[in-house]
Amino acid sequence: MLSMQNISMVYRTDTVETHALREFSLEVGEGEFVAVTGPSGSGKTTFLNIAGLLEKFTSGVYALDGKNVSSLSDAETSRVRNEKIGFIFQGFNLIPDLDIYDNVDVPLRYRGFDGAERKRRIDRVLDLVGLASRRKHLPAQLSGGQQQRVAIARALAGEPRFLLADEPTGNLDSQMALSIMELIQEINRGGTTIIMVTHDPTLAALAHRNVHIRDGRVSDADDSDMQLAEVANG
Amino acid sequence: MFAYYLKLGWLSIRGNPWLSLLMVAAIGVGIGACMTILTVNYTMSGNPIPHKSDRLFHVQLDSWDANDPGEDGFQPPDQVTYTDALALKRAAPAFRQVASNRSGLVLEPEGDDERPFTVDVRNTWADFFPMFEPPFLYGGGWDASADESREPVVVLGRELNERVFGGEDSVGRTVRMNGLNFRVVGVIDEWQPVPKFYDVTNGPFNSTEEAFIPFTLAVEQELPRNGNTNCWKSPEGDGFQAFLASECVWIQYWAELRNDAERAEFHQWLDNYVMEQKELGRFPRPVNNRLLDVMQWMEDQEVVEDDAQVMLGLSVLFLVVCLLNTIGLLLAKFMRKTGEISVRRALGARRGDLFRQHMVEAGLIGLGGGILGLGLTWLGLRGIEALFGEFVENLVGLDWVMMLTAIGLAIVSALVAGLYPTWRATQVMPASQLKAQ
Amino acid sequence: MQFGPIWRALMRNRTGAILIALQVAVTMAIMVNAISIIQSRSEAMARPSGVDEANIFYISSIGFNEEFNERVTIEEDLAAIRALPGVVNAIQSNSVPLSGGGWSMGLQTEAGDDIDGIGTAVYFTDEHGLDTYGLNLVAGENFAPSDVGWREGSTPNWPDRVIITVSLAKGLFGEEEWRSAVGSTVYINSNEPMTVIGIIERMQAPWNGWDRLDNTMLSPEHTLFRSTRYIVRTEPGRRDELMPQVEELLADSNRDRIVRGLTTMEETRERSYRGHASMIKMLLFTIALLLLITALGIVGLASFSVSRRTKQIGTRRALGASKADIASYFMSENFLISGVGVLLGAALTVGLNMAMVDAFDLDRMELWLLPVAMLVLLVVGQLAVLGPARRAASVPPAVATRTV
Repeated sequence: MLSMQNISMVYRTDTVETHALREFSLEVGEGEFVAVTGPSGSGKTTFLNIAGLLEKFTSGVYALDGKNVSSLSDAETSRVRNEKIGFIFQGFNLIPDLDIYDNVDVPLRYRGFDGAERKRRIDRVLDLVGLASRRKHLPAQLSGGQQQRVAIARALAGEPRFLLADEPTGNLDSQMALSIMELIQEINRGGTTIIMVTHDPTLAALAHRNVHIRDGRVSDADDSDMQLAEVANG
Repeated sequence: MFAYYLKLGWLSIRGNPWLSLLMVAAIGVGIGACMTILTVNYTMSGNPIPHKSDRLFHVQLDSWDANDPGEDGFQPPDQVTYTDALALKRAAPAFRQVASNRSGLVLEPEGDDERPFTVDVRNTWADFFPMFEPPFLYGGGWDASADESREPVVVLGRELNERVFGGEDSVGRTVRMNGLNFRVVGVIDEWQPVPKFYDVTNGPFNSTEEAFIPFTLAVEQELPRNGNTNCWKSPEGDGFQAFLASECVWIQYWAELRNDAERAEFHQWLDNYVMEQKELGRFPRPVNNRLLDVMQWMEDQEVVEDDAQVMLGLSVLFLVVCLLNTIGLLLAKFMRKTGEISVRRALGARRGDLFRQHMVEAGLIGLGGGILGLGLTWLGLRGIEALFGEFVENLVGLDWVMMLTAIGLAIVSALVAGLYPTWRATQVMPASQLKAQ
Repeated sequence: MQFGPIWRALMRNRTGAILIALQVAVTMAIMVNAISIIQSRSEAMARPSGVDEANIFYISSIGFNEEFNERVTIEEDLAAIRALPGVVNAIQSNSVPLSGGGWSMGLQTEAGDDIDGIGTAVYFTDEHGLDTYGLNLVAGENFAPSDVGWREGSTPNWPDRVIITVSLAKGLFGEEEWRSAVGSTVYINSNEPMTVIGIIERMQAPWNGWDRLDNTMLSPEHTLFRSTRYIVRTEPGRRDELMPQVEELLADSNRDRIVRGLTTMEETRERSYRGHASMIKMLLFTIALLLLITALGIVGLASFSVSRRTKQIGTRRALGASKADIASYFMSENFLISGVGVLLGAALTVGLNMAMVDAFDLDRMELWLLPVAMLVLLVVGQLAVLGPARRAASVPPAVATRTV
């Protein structure tokens, strides 16, 4: 499903070179639920941006669904994001001017579906996340948990094969976090491949597999204890 | 997608009402200023008789003083002498031709209580009506035979007909002017060519005359003239006949020539005529006859005033300031939406999608500015009317062309102003998180 | 406040700054050129007409009947008007200064067809003319009653005696020797001699746009053109009360004519310069609107820049910057932007002025307008940025630690 080999990402300014990812490799299979963990500054976000085709990388090979994506044009990567990838953001990233229905509608518009098809899909995913009755509400009128459900509905509306979640529960209290995680697990059981970036080991424990990033590389598994200690201290 | 972009644009405008209002105001004020002045210029430079302006020719004969070149060298005078007008009428080969001049008469209404009043009059020939095509409410012009027999006939303007006859069909009735009884043969409906091309000499934006009478009759009766008269030498002798025979120019002369052949023939005739006159001791300057069609003549006479052009230039610059303003504000607005833009990019929007979305938003602001600008244009024209008074009353009308131009110019301006901010918006990188700063 | 760091910060984010600077520059170009036009129009309007404008009015009389005896009527009318209490004097004439319509002729000091004459306006008047118009005779003498003749519509000949203005005398006889005009002969219609008997200080021609506006001659004649004008000068303050009296007197005394166009000299001046006055008003309005738009643009962009830099401002505050430091940062930033704007504006202004002088018949602008306009725009910029700068100053230092 996802195959990264020796991906490197270097940010250059006039004076400094920052290596965000170094020779990073990862394989994720169809239907897998992988948690990517690591301390802040480890390269988690860079990994996520590259995995989601939001950023170009400096070197290496990245194949999504068996297709090399490094040579795609801007419009083509937009198309891939729109059709194959769903995003769940830590900050929800709903568009404040649009109501719930229109927020979920955003990716479908760019997909080019007609009105009836869009409505069918929006109704389905809003039902799925249990917010069908709130379709006319603006994001600001909903709780954080509800907003994240809308964001998940928006991610699912295009029926992506692949869901990228960035600290999906980072801005939520534990009660809500739990219900969002249940929803994500349910989506995974439905066959969608999920990669979740988190620094919370209890959430990571819910995934099939954990990948730990440190200094831009996949680190050895036995680092996980140390990571636990860090989280406890921080 | 266009409807979707319209909706997004509207939501965005509503989401940021003060900034949006500032932009609408900036464009509106710029458009208002520009269109107000443009309307005046447009009206001044309009074609007063579009369907035949290229077939109507203003006739100039250079009968002027050989010792007195003007600023631009030898230019033929803008009017002709009585002698020449008569000679042309008698023999020049034109499809139609007409001499006319401005006059003012005193009209004595029937009934003793009514005070006499003065009337603006045009002395002219029968061909005036088929040539310049004023719309008739009742009756029509007079025949060429009335010119020859110097019949006291009159064509009234709509307003005068209302004043004297209460707006009734007055054909066949009589009005008394300067002691003569004139028989009404026609009444002209509302008619105001702008510019008043057939007599630019006496004011290109004056109102149409209130009555038209045969030129031949006016000459025979020695009725007063009150138009511009220019002489380069004094009449030789005393009295009206001496004046008629003089080198004074006071008549506007027009010919209708249907094609190049007719035009060439007419021009040739004029040149031959001047050569003959030279032998009689007239026309001391080199042959320099001119035939300009309506729009060429308007151009030659520079009917669009310098002040109007200066104001036009300044108002265009004014619009530039307003657009620079709008560019800055749009940039601020779009940059404030960086978060939304990057989310849209993450969700699959292509650069093109965002480009169209933001251009539509700019266009919407332009539309708002256009509507405001149209209102301000109307106000501006009322302001000009209040400032300049009757001098501009024929110049401050807003027609459909100008209204659509106002809206169109506003939208185009907004789109131009939106180009750079929109380009910047499409350069926003897709990202998984909103940056706080 | 140091300009260096502010300048470097500006250069890293220059689009907004460039837009404001351009806006200031174009605003300045429009403003200065508009003011230059206003100046020249005001100067034109300030030229004195030479006549007692406050106390003069005039009225037209048009005979339309065969029975109308113009000569008798004029004599009777003048006698009756002059006899009215409050009337200083009255004449019959063809025109008044600034009215826009009148006669012009050419005068020359030597006879001959091929000599270029000097253009002059002609007013027909009698021996009461100087008193009625309120003209100041600086040399020679006034007309005598015996000088005054009667002119018909197409009389080709001219009287033997003439009074001219100083300006015309200078044109004919030279800047220094203009007094020698008195007693000299001038020729009208190339060959017809007239003797200059007097010189008046000033009297304008009827056409305010004419380049020889002060060239005027008085010809001692009454006119029989069927349409005539009476000029009436009243005692100070009595003009308005006498106007309807004179109108009534003329209308009632003879039914074979109509009287119309009762007008004061003040109205005539207003009408004559209406175009100029309106142009001045329009330009002033344009300048005001323009400054407002530019100021609003500065407010808008400065507000945006403040809100974008809220965190940075909080950080500066946390690091010890006072409110005044923050405000003066934004004030200085605007000073730099506007400064570049007015420098650019000075060049643009001169360019626009040269283009306008070239294309239209305008006066070149006066250079002192440049520094004044630069100063004005800098002040306007500072005033506009005052609000946003104060808002920036009120950002609390705690913002620095807040994560959004």
